[in-house]
Amino acid sequence: MKLLNNTFDTIRLFARFTKLNLKITLEYKLDRTLTFFAIFCRESVNVLVIYFILKKFISIKGWEMNEMLFLYSFLFLSYSLFVAFFTGIREFDSVIYSGEFDRLLIRPVGLLTQIICARMDHCAFLGHGAVGLILFIKTSTSVGIQWTPTNILYYIVTLVGAAIIQASLFMLSSCFNFWAIRTTNLRNMIFFNSRRFAGYPISFYPALIQNLLIYVTPFAFVSYFPAQYFLRKPELSLFWDGFLYMTPIVGVAMFALVYMLWKNGLKHYSSSGTSMY
Amino acid sequence: MIRMYVEIAKKVFQNNIVYRLDYFAGLINALIVILVNISIWKAIYEEEEVLGGIQFRYVITYLILGVLLQTIFMMDEYLIEGKVNSGLVSMDLLKPMNFKAYILSHNIGVLMFRLIMQFTPALIVSMFAFGLLPPFSLLYMFYFIVSVVLGYLVLYNLNFIIWMTSFWFYKTFSLVTIKDAAVTILSGALIPIWFLPEKLVNFIELTPFGSIYYIPISIYLGQVPPNDIILSLIKQAFWIVTLFLLGHILWKSAAKKLVVQGG
Repeated sequence: MKLLNNTFDTIRLFARFTKLNLKITLEYKLDRTLTFFAIFCRESVNVLVIYFILKKFISIKGWEMNEMLFLYSFLFLSYSLFVAFFTGIREFDSVIYSGEFDRLLIRPVGLLTQIICARMDHCAFLGHGAVGLILFIKTSTSVGIQWTPTNILYYIVTLVGAAIIQASLFMLSSCFNFWAIRTTNLRNMIFFNSRRFAGYPISFYPALIQNLLIYVTPFAFVSYFPAQYFLRKPELSLFWDGFLYMTPIVGVAMFALVYMLWKNGLKHYSSSGTSMY
Repeated sequence: MIRMYVEIAKKVFQNNIVYRLDYFAGLINALIVILVNISIWKAIYEEEEVLGGIQFRYVITYLILGVLLQTIFMMDEYLIEGKVNSGLVSMDLLKPMNFKAYILSHNIGVLMFRLIMQFTPALIVSMFAFGLLPPFSLLYMFYFIVSVVLGYLVLYNLNFIIWMTSFWFYKTFSLVTIKDAAVTILSGALIPIWFLPEKLVNFIELTPFGSIYYIPISIYLGQVPPNDIILSLIKQAFWIVTLFLLGHILWKSAAKKLVVQGG
């Protein structure tokens, strides 16, 4: 009963914060609309490149336009989902360096809950989400997927898993902030370059990069394997079948490990002394 | 007079050295983008040497040059915005120097830094690891360098127009980002223009975008006949003058309406 009450409280808190965050965004309606549109354009660039290449060449290694764009839609939708909940983790260094973190420490609510609630980047959420949704709507019916209940369940669970994988990578970098080590640039380089690779089927790359995308920054589980579950391209024989179902497992395992590290790092935290509130 | 601007460029160059790590990250980024592009085009060509009348090595060289030029064509997009928002722009206007020349020399400092720290190492790696073709001939190499300078100035003057809007808008992030997206797609920096649909190419011909990356790279590859080279350079010069005049008009009206809240 207590647990149920706690959960209920957390959800209410989240709803309250969501409302406040929305108010912040809506305060600058024109600017935020333009920012959303700008992110939409920026993210469309790579999609357009794929579109133009495939319009010219019809297919690459047996991958046709719709299949390729279906694969790409996973990247956008999962990133959008990740931003919806983990903006606070993405911007964790500014949470620490502004002293905002000290404020969170003295409140009687779980830290992670507060960080998840505290910030929300609506422009990135909608910008990535819109590109992903357009690609998904355009391709999900034309690549020959039977949307049975099992497949729908797989899709949802996998998308959540993919978002958690990305959250874990960001959270790993945020751990270093407790020791006052800034890793934002390094993180962005590793994260966004892995993401760049994952926009195309990993079978296009040399074996070394394939392995990096499976075992180090597991972006293969964000786009390639989920897409392959539905498309079943013959090149799948290159990889172990089990990978198709691993996305949620990889996500939860990574997050559990990183969360432990994060908890440990928290013990080493000493304030930056810049709290202004 | 010129000395002062050279000094500014030098100072910016030195300031950039402090952030070596950022530029190292930029270098890695450039190499990874090249690697991704090569992998994709390798997959497209699938062991074929020639596809649609275009040699694989030409495409690779085009893509590498596109990425390499992008590293040095990156400018300080928020310099003017920062100065307008903080009010420091009034201090710059009081100094005995031309504000526009100051902005240009600042960006040339950035350019020189990127040329040495990013472009050169990435070029060397590309020559040995990625199979970058040498220029078509020595004469074409010379025209290529001229054309790159002109291409930089086309992009600079286009950017300057966007930067000027910070006198009217508080934030220019969205305009800068939309401009970047348009330039990336339409200038042929990411995908060779000859693979784009014909209608789009006809449209690009009418805009300044083709003058930024596409003309220098096609000169490098020797795809512009000798008689047409001068014409291509004139086309680039035409866009520099046109965009410069537009930017100048904006700058004049911006300076007139400038209100600084104390700084």
